[in-house]
Amino acid sequence: MVRLARRALHGLLLLIGVSALSFLLVELAPGDYFAEMRLDPRVSEATLRTLRSRYGLDRPLPERYLRWVASLARGELGYSFAYGQPVGPLLWPRVRNTLLLTVTATALAWMLAVPLGAWWATRRRGPVNAGLAGVTAALLALPDLVLALGLLLLALRTGWFPAGGMVSLGHEQMAWSERVGDVAAHLVLPVTALVLGILPVLVRYVRAGVADALDAPFVRAARAHGIPPRHVMLRHALPAAANPLISLFGLSLAGLLSTSLLVEVVMSWPGLGPLLLEAILARDFYLVLGPVLASTLLLVSGNFVADALLLAADPRIRAAGR
Amino acid sequence: MSRRAGSTLALGALAAVHLAALAAGFLAPYDPTEQNRSLPYAPPARLRFVDAGGTFHLRPFVYPMAEQGPGSGVYGDDRRQAYPVHFLVPGAPYRFAGLLRGRVHLFGVDEPGRILLLGTDGFGRDQLSRLLHGAQISLFAGLTATTLALGVGWLLGTLSGFYGGWVDAALMRGSELFLALPWLYLLFAVRAVLPLSIPPERAFLLLVLVIGLVDWARPARLVRGVVLSARERNYVLAARGFGASDVYLIRRHIAPQTFGLLLTQAALLVPQYILAEVTLSFLGLGVSEPVPSWGNMLADLQHYHVLESCWWMWAPGLVLVPVFLAYYALSEALDRAGPA
Amino acid sequence: MEAEPPLFRVWGLTKRYSGRERRGAPTVEALAGIDLEVTRGSDLALVGQSGSGKSTLARCLARLDEPTSGRVLFEGMDLRELRGPRLLRFRERVQLILQDSATALDPRLTAAAIVSEPLEVLGRGDRRERGRQARELMESVGLPAAWAARRPFELSGGQRQRLAIARALAVQPELLILDEAFAGLDASIQAQIATLLQELQARHGLTYLYVSHDLSLMALLADEVAIMFEGRIVERGEVGRIFTEPRHPHTRALIAAVASLPAPSAPPAS
Repeated sequence: MVRLARRALHGLLLLIGVSALSFLLVELAPGDYFAEMRLDPRVSEATLRTLRSRYGLDRPLPERYLRWVASLARGELGYSFAYGQPVGPLLWPRVRNTLLLTVTATALAWMLAVPLGAWWATRRRGPVNAGLAGVTAALLALPDLVLALGLLLLALRTGWFPAGGMVSLGHEQMAWSERVGDVAAHLVLPVTALVLGILPVLVRYVRAGVADALDAPFVRAARAHGIPPRHVMLRHALPAAANPLISLFGLSLAGLLSTSLLVEVVMSWPGLGPLLLEAILARDFYLVLGPVLASTLLLVSGNFVADALLLAADPRIRAAGR
Repeated sequence: MSRRAGSTLALGALAAVHLAALAAGFLAPYDPTEQNRSLPYAPPARLRFVDAGGTFHLRPFVYPMAEQGPGSGVYGDDRRQAYPVHFLVPGAPYRFAGLLRGRVHLFGVDEPGRILLLGTDGFGRDQLSRLLHGAQISLFAGLTATTLALGVGWLLGTLSGFYGGWVDAALMRGSELFLALPWLYLLFAVRAVLPLSIPPERAFLLLVLVIGLVDWARPARLVRGVVLSARERNYVLAARGFGASDVYLIRRHIAPQTFGLLLTQAALLVPQYILAEVTLSFLGLGVSEPVPSWGNMLADLQHYHVLESCWWMWAPGLVLVPVFLAYYALSEALDRAGPA
Repeated sequence: MEAEPPLFRVWGLTKRYSGRERRGAPTVEALAGIDLEVTRGSDLALVGQSGSGKSTLARCLARLDEPTSGRVLFEGMDLRELRGPRLLRFRERVQLILQDSATALDPRLTAAAIVSEPLEVLGRGDRRERGRQARELMESVGLPAAWAARRPFELSGGQRQRLAIARALAVQPELLILDEAFAGLDASIQAQIATLLQELQARHGLTYLYVSHDLSLMALLADEVAIMFEGRIVERGEVGRIFTEPRHPHTRALIAAVASLPAPSAPPAS
């Protein structure tokens, strides 16, 4: 428990560090965001006054940073002048959508990767081995961008799934169950893109992990005792491989979030990705910081979850815990 | 396919692609910025050997494309005039590998004919020429950014691992911060603080700087690990016993142990960075018009009608697949070669 | 014992490893106050079990480790004040041969490169000259010059040890500290190395400081023995006297451990 608390504190420190780093980054960059903001005709006088008072627009850097952090308590996290409203309320629905996409994709990818990888680990040679090796290599070499575009094309050609977006027209008027179905239908394409993007890497690692576990002496002993293969796999090999796999889960999160940024943009899924892109194109300072920090939060939380899982799964770590 | 043959093939393929990129000016029939407004989104021309009358010609030729009905977007061959393909023809001036000037192109047809083997884009620009020139940007952006990232990572990792103390502590905390952000988000964040439109000449350099400098953290940590264990080796201690300086120790004993790691990392990072450039350019944040890069060429596919009907516009994306396959095959081969 | 000024004089040497230096480990007192003298021409053996601090002492004497407190004088010069060219001079005169030759030699280098490395570091001669000297040195330790291009993994343990010795000789030292130089070698190989060391000593006038856990072997090789236990020297004296009149209980315990072996015979005629 102490370990978890320490990890949580560490994560919090990381978040603070990243927020400071990003704030500093904008400061060091060529071009002055705040000066630009002042000159930008889109920004009204009223907005400027709000920014000045709330966020200390003309104050030195450390004060601006602290005011921005403090605005978190108000649920604001800065002010987007492109949208004309605080950033906070804009962020939370996007975070939710990105979570929906990434959690679904992760769950699906792992549900596929573990059996596939485990099966592959039992077939060292032969057509299955070659086939899976070939397919994963091909998927690995296929850029996520091209994959996403290809899926869009598929949707357009066949009309099986909506090509992009999260909701259809008239979504508001639908009954609750219809709305769920609507979102689910829109979810298919981006989830497929994400899953196919990370699956090859996952399958390979699962295979490596399970293969190692199968080679472990206690597993070989189990097989020598005549315990049926499935039992060996489920009761001995997979649990033994759990440790490296959970670590892999933690490590794969960063890549997953990066890929989801791209998929969201290409498929117009209203998550953090498109918001960040909008903010960059609109030169909207606080709105840029928002999704960046939110993505860090997701990553840090995800790693925390992975740590907790690791703690729960591995009795050795629990026993050694200080 | 044996492993040896596989990796040799991969290396050969990569070498060929990069050489083709360097020789883009020569291999491409046209200047990549040259427009043909009368031929927007024209499909690829077919090389023919048999003409409408059924006569076989040894020298291939093409029929010009013509719109069936102005603005219809539907194309067909105009069989009234055939343009034979000539080799080693003078054409638009270019610079070979950016240095030597030249005017000779590998192949071409007489004016006013056009040989558009990969079709055209919305401005009627020859896709094949743009593909070849775009390769220069995309492929070499990946290579250069990788060199930068690994160079910086190696330096910081070596200093950190060798000297320890506060240098090491600072590096570890710093790298943790950088690694706490998903990589693409970090890249976008850095891109966000640069001016929105960058003049094309500086775009390449700036992009490479951004992509390369952002990703120093992981290579640095890996190098640090190797240096930490190498530093403790007895032969390093022995060399210290002869009065060897730190620089000597690093140069002679420690650095060579990092080279295998750097090579493996390079094979993994280059495709990732090529993809970074492609992604940024695709979204309009990278190399901008009119300089072609595989990324901004793919941007056209964001228009649904292009996505559906103009299959030749996929070329820049599809050509990435064999390039990536080659790099992954290379990294597998390096992995198997093991720590030297 | 010759009436020569001592090569090394050590006062109150202590070495403490705190939790900071070694991550997470509790504070270890490797050396708890050492007073020592090493005289030219008289071979000394530091004998003790693992953890007695003998390797740490060896490293401190070779200035590869910094003591926590105490003084080490080499020919009257305080070791801590040696810097730059004077430090290099010291290194030329005192060489440390480490235990485990397999890790003491860079596996990527050839034998000649390994042997000539000290010359390279000190900037002696050009490449050809260094190569020639390397081959000479290899011959002097009984390794054929033709093996100059071989790498450590192609050599046996005894041959690697010879290579390490050749390397140490490259700078023409006066004192060789041999840290467990015989550990891990077969008895016959040990004998070969011991013979080699005797020859080299006669030829070059070297003084040896042995560090070992093997009391019986040291009895054959050294003139004096210093018994180390838990970071202190508990007894010191001539080899013969130590065996016939051990005073400290630990000394007696060590001797008892080798009591099953026949009494040490006269050293082989050189």
